[in-house]
Parts: sequence; C-alpha cells; structure tokens
Amino acid sequence: VNIADYELIVGKSAIDELKLVAAKLGGKVIQNINSTFTGGGVAEILSRMVPLLTQLGVDARWNVIKGDDAFFQVTKKFHNALHGRDERITPEDFAVFQETTQKNLGEMELSGDILFIHDPQPVGLIVRKKELGKKWIWRCHIDVSHPNEEVWNFVQPFVVQYDAAVFSAPSFSRELPIRQFLISPSIDPLSDKNRELPPETIDSVLAKYGIPKDKPIITQVSRFDYLKDPVGVIEAFEMAKKSVDCRLVLAGGTATDDPESDKVLAEVRERAGDNPDIHVLLIPANSDIEINALQSASTIIVQKSLREGFGLTVSEALWKAKPVIASAVGGIPLQVKNKLTGLLSHGIPGTAYALRQLLTNPDYARSLGNNGREHVRHNFLITRHLKDYLLLFLALEHQEDIIRL
Amino acid sequence: MIQWLVDNWLKIVIPVLAFLAIWGIGLWLRRMVYSTFVFWAAKVKWEGSQIVIAVTRRPFLLWFLLLGVDIAIQISALPPEVKSTTGRAIGSLFVASLAWVLIALSERLLRLHLPRVKTPERTIAISINIVRIVIIVIGALVVLDIWGVPTTPLLLLILVAVVAAALAFRTTAPNLFAGFQLSATQQIRTGDYIKLETGEEGYVTEMNWNNTRIMALDESTVIIPNSRLLQHTVINYGRPLKKAKEPFHFYSRTHLTELTGLRAKNLGELVDILKKVPETVVYYHTHHYVEEHHYLTPEPANDFAVWVTDALGDEILGEKLASVDTFGFSDLASLRERLVGIIEEHLVLGSNSREPMPGREFYFMKSVSLILPTPYTAHDLREFVETLRKVSLGSLYFHMFESRLRLGRGLNDFSVWLQDSLDESELGQEIARFDPYTYSLEGLRSALIQLIEKRIK
Repeated sequence: VNIADYELIVGKSAIDELKLVAAKLGGKVIQNINSTFTGGGVAEILSRMVPLLTQLGVDARWNVIKGDDAFFQVTKKFHNALHGRDERITPEDFAVFQETTQKNLGEMELSGDILFIHDPQPVGLIVRKKELGKKWIWRCHIDVSHPNEEVWNFVQPFVVQYDAAVFSAPSFSRELPIRQFLISPSIDPLSDKNRELPPETIDSVLAKYGIPKDKPIITQVSRFDYLKDPVGVIEAFEMAKKSVDCRLVLAGGTATDDPESDKVLAEVRERAGDNPDIHVLLIPANSDIEINALQSASTIIVQKSLREGFGLTVSEALWKAKPVIASAVGGIPLQVKNKLTGLLSHGIPGTAYALRQLLTNPDYARSLGNNGREHVRHNFLITRHLKDYLLLFLALEHQEDIIRL
Repeated sequence: MIQWLVDNWLKIVIPVLAFLAIWGIGLWLRRMVYSTFVFWAAKVKWEGSQIVIAVTRRPFLLWFLLLGVDIAIQISALPPEVKSTTGRAIGSLFVASLAWVLIALSERLLRLHLPRVKTPERTIAISINIVRIVIIVIGALVVLDIWGVPTTPLLLLILVAVVAAALAFRTTAPNLFAGFQLSATQQIRTGDYIKLETGEEGYVTEMNWNNTRIMALDESTVIIPNSRLLQHTVINYGRPLKKAKEPFHFYSRTHLTELTGLRAKNLGELVDILKKVPETVVYYHTHHYVEEHHYLTPEPANDFAVWVTDALGDEILGEKLASVDTFGFSDLASLRERLVGIIEEHLVLGSNSREPMPGREFYFMKSVSLILPTPYTAHDLREFVETLRKVSLGSLYFHMFESRLRLGRGLNDFSVWLQDSLDESELGQEIARFDPYTYSLEGLRSALIQLIEKRIK
C-alpha cells in the first residue's frame, strides 16, 4: 500500500498535511515496541502504520519483546483483568511478568529517540528511562476504566514514569499524573475488510451462506459473546419484523480463548429456531472479504453490545455508508452521534423501534449512512491515526497548548 | 479575296455577332452583379466590399472577352486543331487571370483583417505567401490538365510534400492555428488570470504563436501549448488587481486532543470543574465539533449542550446551552462565564439529581493546536480567492475561528489583512460580520469565495 493511494479517499490536502507534519520530526527515530508481530489488533495496526510512516519519511521501527508461554499466559490474564474481567492473579504471575521484563531489559536494544510502548506486556521497559533519557509514550489499546485493582496497582507505577499515555476513548482513561492524549483507533479503507467490493463478490458470499436478497437485511457482526447480546438482537428483530418484513444475519466467530462462546452460539441457534429469516453464520477467522460482503449487502447494521471496547465494527459499517443502530457503550458514542451519524439505543424495544424507523424511512436511513461515512472519513481512517501519532511525537517536545512549527 | 468574303461572309459575321453578344451580356451582367453586391455590402457594412469591387471589376470584363473569343472561334469555320489550340490557350489565360484575382483579393483582405487581431507583420506575410503558393499550385495544375499533361505524378509529389510538412509540423501546426484563433477572438490576453481544467493557473505573461506563458502563484512559469488552451476548459478571471502592501501567508492548523483526567457525572460537578479548567478546555468543548463534524449541516451544538441533552436527558438546559452564540464573544473568559451562568441558573431552579449511564460522564479535554506554515501566499484578491479554494479546511478553520477567539485577536485574519494590507475595508468588515459557526467549513469556504468573487467583478 502506498500513502498516495489514500489521496483519492481523504484528499490531497490531507496527505500533504501528513507530509508537512512528518517533515517537522526532523529525523527522530520512533521505536514501536509490543509483544508480537502477528495476531491481534495492535500487530495489525502496526503492520500497516509502520510502512506508511516510513513512506512519509519517518524513521519508524518496530520491535517485539521476547517471552515464553508462561509470560504470555500471564499477560493474557492481565489484559482480561485490566478490561474488568474476573481473573485470579497469583503472586507467581507477577513474578513471571517481572522476570521476563528483566530479561528484556537486558537484551532489548532501545535505540529510538521516542519509545512508543504498546499495551501492558512491555510496560516495564520504562525502568531504563533514567539511564537512557529520551521520550517515552505508553499506548494503551485497552479499556482500563474499570480494571482489576490488583493488576492496575501493579501496572500503574510503571505507567506514571512515562512522559505521556495514550488512550482510545475518554472513558478508557484513568486519572494519572502524566499527560494523557486521546487517539482513537482507525480502520484502513484499503484493507480487505473495508475496500469496495464488486457486486459479484457480494452476491457470491450471499449465495454461499444462502441469504436471499428479497428483503431488507439487518446484520450484526461480532463474535458470539454475551456482551454482544446476540439474543437481544434477535428479540429486537422479531419485534420490528411484525411491522416490516426483513431478514437478520448474525455473523461472527467464536473466540478460542473464550469457552463461553460455543455456549453462546448454541443459545443463539436455539433462540433463532427454524426461522428461515434468521441466518446465524459462524465465520472462520481471517474471512475479511466475507465480512465486508455481508456488511456491504446489509440494509441496516446493528451493534447491540452490552459492553464494548472501541467497537471498530461500527466504523467499518459506517464506512460502507450503512445506517447503524448501536448501544451507547465504550467507544461507540464517539462514532455514532445520535440522529446524525446513526442511532444510539439503550435496550431491546429501543433497538426494535430504531429498526422500524429506518426500515420505513429509507431516505432518513440513507442520510444517516452518508453522514456516517463522512464522519469516518474525517475521524476514523488510518490517515487521521497517522496524523495523530505524528502530532503526538511533536507535542512531546512542547508543554504549551499552541505550538507553532 | 473579296470573292471569298462574299462567299463566306456568314462564317465571319456569325462569330463576330456571337462575340459582340457575349460582350454585351458581360457588360450588362457586370452592372447587375456589382450593383447588387454594392447594395448587399452596404447592408452588412463589410469593409472588404470595396476591395472585392476594385480587384474583380476589370477582370470580370476580361473573362467575358475571353468567353466571347472562345465561343466565336468554336462556331467559326477554322480547322478543328486550331479551335482546340486556341480553346486551350484561352482556358489557360482564364485560369491565370482567375488566379491573379484570387491572389490579389486574398492578399488585400488578409492585410485588412489580420492587423485588427494584432497579428504580427511576419505572420501576415507568411499567411499571404501560403495563400499565394496554394493558389498558384492549383492554377498550374489546372493549366497543365487543360494542355493534357498528366498531373497525377505531380499531385502525388505534392501530396507527399504536404504529408511530410504535416508530419514535420504536427505539433507546431495545431499550436499555430490555436494561437491564431486565440489572437483573433481575444478570449485570453496578456495580464489575464487564467485557470485550466487540468489545474494550471496564473497570470498570462506572454502569448506567442506556439505557446502561452503564465506565472503561477508560486511565481513559477508555466508554458502551455496554445492548442491546449482550446482543447480544455479555461476560466479567465480577467485583469490583475490591486497588490497588497504585505502578502497574506496561509497557515494550517491541526490538533491533538489531550485528556485532563477530569470528569463530571452531574451538573454540579460539571459547573465546578468548568470554572477551574484552563481556557483551552473551554475552547475545545465549544469548538472541536466544528472540525470533527464540519460535513454536517446543521452541525451539532457545543459539547456541554450535547452531553446535557443526550446523557442527562435535560433538553431544556441543553437548548439553553446550545443557543449560546459563540460568535458573540470576543474572548474565552466571557464565553466560560456565560456557560457557567446558564448552568448555575438552572441549578438554582432545578435539581442536580440527573446522572448519566456509566461511561457517559462528561470528560474534560483540551486541544493542543499545532500551527504549520503552508507554501501559499496571496498578493491580491485574485490570488487570495484562488488559494482559498485549495487550502485545507484546517487552514480555513485557523484563520476564521482560532485566530479570532483562541489567539485573542478579536477579528479573523482575513478581515485584518483585507483592511490593513489591501485597503479593502468594506470587504473586510463584511467577512468580519460573517458568523462562521452557522456554516459547515465547506459552506464557509464557498460563502467567502462568493463574496470575494463579487468584489473582484
């Protein structure tokens, strides 16, 4: 992918601005550090952003810390605990974390002028700040608004040594004695998940899953998890269907690390029963084009989560100019401005009501979808994300609020 | 001899009569044709009519003379070979005289019309010579044909020469003709500001017969082949305008959002924190929507109004906060005072019991602005309006919003420049009266462009 390819999407002035800001970095080396080169959202975004930063003339590097299975088991538990899930953390877990951190402190070459540390796994590298100086940023990709206090109290002493922390949504942040910045995640409009598909591809995916195009299609894309409330979606769909005929597609995978997801899938299938208008699709991992096709074929996209991280599937739907009905949780209110770029709902009847509104007022639905696409174009594409990172690197050098470059 | 004349007088008289008849018809026809032509020329007021009359009046009689001689010979008793030879000779004389007339006519007409479209003397001479050569070649070919000389090889030779010339001048010729046309129509003149649909724009500094030179706003010279000016849509904005004492330098502004870590979950907390936070926080929550939602018409209200309405469900207070006219404030302190006043007044009358759902508290944030110079400058209204069309929305935002309120200048940058550097006080004041908060950024750009275009006209 070339940075120039985005010019058609966001305009020349936006790309020119990126180049202008990148030039102001004056050859500073940005060293990204996380825990893996593959798998997971952080690796995915870094694999896209680092080459684009390089094309903009920024010396961006990417390294990963080393750790054994035991370490990654512990960091997985930390991750879940910081997200607010119940996890039993033992003193041995903290010891494993400390031990691997020490090992990496000794082995890792920290050569960047700005050390951009992603998520909790490498957070302990900050210990070398006293010795090396330089600027250190902790990029928190997870929602730490309601963390397991034991884990947070372990992580926080590291975090407060950084020059700045970055969160994805205001509600994910904590009160900290260091500067905190808000940088939302983004989608890549040129990726398989978001690029425009030819109609034949969309039709072939619908045919593969046996979904006729005879009625409006309502879709929720999310893994089978109680927190995504798939059963609630079926109930809202059934209520709406009494007045407007339509189909429902529930598409997603089951998480390998979540034993509950098979149970949820079974419950959803049971609740759907033999209703021919409800399609419960178990989509294998890495089926980006299929997900894209299902979203593109939809009339309305729903994200009726009870709890959510940033909820980037909402931006994916909005980018396809689809009217979206979503719960006001996590990062969703940043993406869906109620009645402007979509509809926010707070329960099953509210979702059903919103579905009826959109199904019977296609012009209104279309205007929400179009507004949503523009909202994403300006605020949730990778180009904005790149710009925010560049500005963050520049802002670290200044304490004032108005910086003349 | 006399006896021969007595025997054959008819063979002489008939051709002579025929000649005289044709001559007479010629005289009559000339009078009719020229009187009609003079009448028509007077009606259409064509100045070339005198030239046509002067050049063709005498040859007209000559042609009838030749016609009369030819008919007289053809009906005479002369031997066929003599008839054939004299017929060819008369035909050749006719072609030669016709060619001479056409050459004289075209030369005098070109000399009449070309100087009026400011055609250089050299080009006039070239044009006349080209016409002469074409007519002479065609005339010569016709004469050769009359005498039975095969002309096909000659035609082929000429064709090859024409093709070779066309190939040699294939790039120059269209430019030459386009230059001629541009000059004739006067659609573009030196000093005009033009813009091609392909993006090139600037002041026309020179027009010659091959290309047109324009000086772009960054002072680079762009050379455009004349043919492109006819093939593409060109907007001609006209003559240069008054130059500013100081050029306007366009800056762009982009921002990063900083979290303060402060949050409010009811109106009491909201107003307490709002009183203490730095002004940059007030600025963020009353302005960030302008940039983030600039594509929406109407744009959403300020963050306080949206939160009170959506998260607390208090539509009455939401409406009061949304109706605060940010444009009416020249500094952030008084804007904060007004917002605090509205919330406190509402708290006195109502209760502080409403709380949002968890996660939907009000998060206080501030905006870190990074101001960047752009390569664009404007020295006059034309350059200004053309640059305004292409600068980023961040640049427009900076000069119209941020400099006025956040940098405490009290007036937008455009108005200041128009008044101080360009003596355009009226236009400056008109822009200063614009309430930019009621427009989307693109809408604001269009409105400004429209206003300035009107002034230029």
